[in-house]
This record gives sequence, C-alpha cells and structure tokens, in this order.
Amino acid sequence: MKTFRRDLLKAAGAVLLAGMGAGGRSPSGRGGSEDEYFVFIQAAGGWDVTLWSDPRNEKKGIIDPATTDNLDPTGLTKWKEAPFSGSTRTFEVLTSRGAPFRFGPAIGGLFDLADRLTIVNGLEMNTVSHPDGTLFSATGRHPVGGRAVASSVDTMVANELGGAQMIPLLSVGFPSYFVGDGLDRRAVPLRVGSIDAVTRLLARSEVYETTEDRRAITAVLSEEARDLAGRSASPELFTGLALQYDALQKMIGGSLEAVFSVPSLQKAHPRFAYGGKFAGASAVSAAFAIEAMRRNLVRCVSFSSTGFDTHTNNYRSHGAALQELFDMVATLVTTLDGIPHPTKPSDKLSEHTHILVVSEFCRTPQINQAGGRDHYPNNSALVISPRFKHPFVLGKTDEEQVLPAAIPGFLGGPRPVGPADLLATFVSAFGIEPRRYLRDGEVVEALLRT
Amino acid sequence: MKPVSPGRGGVKGWSRGRTGGRPGLRRLALLGVGIAAVMGTLVCTRRPEVVEPTGGPALPVVSRIPEDTTHKEEPRLLPAEVYVRSYMQWFGGLAPIEVQAKARGADGALLFDAWGDYLAALGLPDYATDLPRGGQTNAMMLGAFERLGSALCARAMEHDWRGSVKVADRLIFAFERGGEAPPLPEFAAGLDVLHRTFLGYPARLAPEGRIERYFKLFEETRGRHAAAAKKERLTPVETAWVAVCEGLVRHPELHFY
Repeated sequence: MKTFRRDLLKAAGAVLLAGMGAGGRSPSGRGGSEDEYFVFIQAAGGWDVTLWSDPRNEKKGIIDPATTDNLDPTGLTKWKEAPFSGSTRTFEVLTSRGAPFRFGPAIGGLFDLADRLTIVNGLEMNTVSHPDGTLFSATGRHPVGGRAVASSVDTMVANELGGAQMIPLLSVGFPSYFVGDGLDRRAVPLRVGSIDAVTRLLARSEVYETTEDRRAITAVLSEEARDLAGRSASPELFTGLALQYDALQKMIGGSLEAVFSVPSLQKAHPRFAYGGKFAGASAVSAAFAIEAMRRNLVRCVSFSSTGFDTHTNNYRSHGAALQELFDMVATLVTTLDGIPHPTKPSDKLSEHTHILVVSEFCRTPQINQAGGRDHYPNNSALVISPRFKHPFVLGKTDEEQVLPAAIPGFLGGPRPVGPADLLATFVSAFGIEPRRYLRDGEVVEALLRT
Repeated sequence: MKPVSPGRGGVKGWSRGRTGGRPGLRRLALLGVGIAAVMGTLVCTRRPEVVEPTGGPALPVVSRIPEDTTHKEEPRLLPAEVYVRSYMQWFGGLAPIEVQAKARGADGALLFDAWGDYLAALGLPDYATDLPRGGQTNAMMLGAFERLGSALCARAMEHDWRGSVKVADRLIFAFERGGEAPPLPEFAAGLDVLHRTFLGYPARLAPEGRIERYFKLFEETRGRHAAAAKKERLTPVETAWVAVCEGLVRHPELHFY
C-alpha cells in the first residue's frame, strides 16, 4: 500500500510539473481553489420538483399533487400521510428546524443534511426538449443546430483547476462538452459509459507486452505528435494530443485498475445502495469519485442518474428514483466527512468538495391521461458547497402553475433565475471568470458566502 | 350492301395507304428527308465562328486585400464508426461479434473485453441519454485505442506468423519473416507494409526520421525481450513487430483527417 501511495505521489508530482510547464493557470478573484474537488450530477430525464424542493400537496390551479392514486409511496422514508380526498392520501410537507426549506417526501437522506443545502427553485428553462434542457442546464446556452455552443460547467472547472491532475475530468454519462478556443486539451472530458469501463480501459494484459513496452510505444507516439505539431497548420491539436499521450502513460501500469474496479469500490464504500434500481450505477460513480479524490487524482467527476422521464404510470416510481438519488448524495457527503483531505490533512474532504445536482427541466404539475407527468419548463437545482450560503433557498414559483417567478436583484430588474446565472455563480465561487465561458448569466452574490 | 368488317377490311384510308397509296406523295416525302439530311450534314461540318479575344483596358486598382491562405479548420477526429469498421477490416473483414471473440481468444490473455466497454470512450453518441458524439481525443480514448491496438496486433501476429499462412493471405504482417535481428533495410521493408496498411502511404514519404524512430523502438523492444528470463508467448522479434504495429495503428495520422 505504501509503495502504491508513493507511486501515486510521484506520478501526481510529475503531472504537476508537466502542468506548470505547459502553462497551468492560476485562478483569479476568489483564489485558493487549487485544492478543491467537484462532483456534478445530472438527474437525466427531468425530475419532479413537487416531490422534493418545491412541494405541492393541494389541488390548486392546474396542480395535481402526488397522491396514493398516482404515486407509490412504498419505501419513501419521508412520506408522511396527509388526507386528500376520500380514501386517497397525499403527503405532508416537511420542514427542517432552522432551515428555510419545505421538502417533499422524496428528499430521502438529504433531509438530515438540510443545514448544508443550497437550493435554487424556479429556474427558468424555456424548453421542454430533453437535448435542449440537458445542454442548457450544463452549459448555460441553448444548443444551436443540435450542438453545444459552450463548454459544460465541469469542463470550465477542469480547464481552470484541473491541469495538474492525472484525470482533470471524468464524465460518466454527464452532458460534458469541451467547446471554445484556447482551452487546455487535457481538460477534454474523459467520457466513459460506466466506471466498470474505466477499469477495463486501464487494465492491460501482460502476456504479450510489458508495461515498459507500452510506455516505449506511447513515448514514440508522443514524439510523433510533437513532430506533426511542428509541421501542422494546427499545432495546438497535436501538442494537446502529445500531452494526452503523456497523461495516458501515467495512468497505465500502476495499480489504478485494481483500486477502481467495481468490486473494490463496493468493498471500500459499502454504505452506498449499489443494488438500487435507479441510482445503483451512479452510486458506483460516487464511490469512484471518493477514491479518486482522496488520492488527489481527479479534479472533477461528473455522472448521471436515470429513471426520471416518467410520462406514463411509471410516474408511480418517480419518488423512489428521487429518493435513491438523494440518498446517494447524502451518503457521498457523509462519507467525505470522514476522509481527510489528501493535501490538507487537517481538513475534511467534504470541506473542499463541491457538489452540483441538476436536471434538464421538471415535470408538469398536472397528471396526464396516461397517469404520468410530461415535460415542464421550470426547474430546481441543488448545491452542496462550503462556498455557498447554506441552508439557503433562492428563487420561487407561482402558486397555481409552478412556473418560475421573478425575483429582484438582477441588473435588468426582477426576473426568474436562469441556468446561466447558477453556472456563473458556481464558477465565480472558485475564482473563475464567468465571462470566459458563459455568454449569459449574472453572478448571484446572494448565493455565495462572504 | 355488304357490311365492311373492321377486323378484315379496316378503315378505308388506312387500308389504301398500306397497300400502296399515292406514289407522288411518297416520293415527295423521301425528297424532303434527303434535303434535310444534306442540310444537316452541311451545317454540322461547317467550322464555328471564332471570335478573336480583344484586350480591354485594365481596371484601376483601388485597394489591395491579401489572400488568406491559412487553414480554416483543424484536422478532424475520424468518426468512431469509421475506426471500428477499419478495425474489423484489419481483423479480416469479420463481423463485430466475431472480432470480439477472436480478440478475446480462449487463452485467458485478457486482451479484449466486449465492444460495449469501448463505445463511449471511442466517442460514439449515446442516444439513450441524448449524449452526442465526442469530437475530441482524450487520455481515456487514447487508452481505448491502446487496448484495441494491442489486441489486434498480438492476435494478428499469432495468425500471420504462428500459423502457416501464405504472405498474400496474412492480415497485417504480410511480409517475409526474415531474420531474428533484421538490419534497417530489411526492417524498413516490413515497416513499409504496415505503414501502407494503417496510414495509407509508403513509409519513405513519411516525415524524416520516422523509419529510424520505429527501428529504435523495434530494436529496444527486441532487446528487452531477448534478455527476459522467463519464456514468453511470442519470440523477441515477434514482440518487437507487435510493438511497431501498435505504434502505427495508434498513430495520430490514423485518427485525424
């Protein structure tokens, strides 16, 4: 174990030096972000905010609240029954002492961490299209011709703060995009379908070739890329490729594949519900994030959790999907509480880890004829970060339609909060200049701790 | 009056025409056709009128704008589908599942897993979660190329040189085996075959120093394995050729266009 740690530190040191040589950036403004870690989670499909962040349990306007007729409350730990109509029951809205929140019954384990949460309600999405909402929530821009026209928030952070890490950004099904000029190509998201694939991609057979052989081949390829950079009209492409070959050399041949194998992760972090129907796979990603952060190998890990696109009577399981997600996030946070920071041993890892949970939009307040809820252009987002004010809630929706309502504080006058505002605020909390990446959005200082 | 049967006698005029008609009219028609043919020939053989060019006054220069001849787009990453198809072709034109079976083998070498493990890393889009294709390389993608390249080259070596396969029927190493320590010219001939296979042009046209760089890789790999104490599955020269193969199937020129 000692040898392994020594190897890792050596590798990390080498990468750090390489990063400095290649022009690593130091953040401006709110500095001191070099030791921070980031986890980005997407609830893929569009979540129902009335079940957690913006609860509704009354029939008002167009709102059909969740009841025992349309939702299966079995297993929802925070479902407290309240009368609705006849034998039909709805839920009791939860409040947390000292926190400004009202929670729905799917909040799960996060209820106990309410004093650490920052919630943004009434996010104005202006879309009910999955690809559009997915890109808008992650990049702050609507797509053009189906393509992302800005980098996603995880890429922004990785580009600014991840150059020295072995893995600046690992993306497991998160909408991660690398768009724009002058970005560090080491921050291109390492996209994989699952954590299991990472293990397989890092594993190498020793039957035909040795680690030394592979390193020699990769070194030749790195030289070839640098040669081509010298002859090409686009030298930055091949120079970036050479850096990626160098990063690969450091990733392969160590013990990483053993540490990051799914059985090892499950054994190391048994508190996650890996068998969960909806968030079981994302629990593996969360365990990976913990192991990679405690070894100081990554800057950002982003992943998605599925099971939220419930148009038909599969809405009955929507509460369970949300609860699994929030239980997973709660387990992630409490696990980080017990782990020391790799470079600041006196600090807990959770004091330097920042979690952003988003979805592409929310679901209609009314139940459709198939028993489900369709897409709706309102949204909420969850932030768990020591740099954000907590417990705190920003934004609101109207009483009868659950649509975003205007709030004061913006330059052009009152308006609802948008995804670009949230992303601009998030990156600015770490000294990153939002305008470098985001065309729109204002930094909402009210969200940030002074 | 006897009725005229349409089936036998037909219409009056038609019947007359087919049985002779008026000879004067026929001659006239033939004459017309002949004149038209002669006229046509005359017209077609006549040389077209040539209009000699005349020089006009040069336009006055009002301003000069330099021509921008720089490249406007950087090289693009080969679509993952093209890479996968090429890969299957190198494996002998097999179907994906056959390639997977051959690459994995039954020897427990763990050279390959399943295609599904590589698709996201190779940048293929995921329509289930609305994720578009990846248009840029990253270290994990290069890792996937390494794993795939390693499987291809090792299995091809076993097929081509371990089996008694004629040169023309070999998949990748389609050249004579030669000695156990080939000199540079002999190595260059083999490299040329691989270079043409993977990069599509002769090695001698590659940027200066490539042949020597790959020869160094070949020699060093061969030397390391010649000095290895334990018995290995491939001979040192075979392992060295596998390394060269890998160095070409993962080459930047293969992945960009």
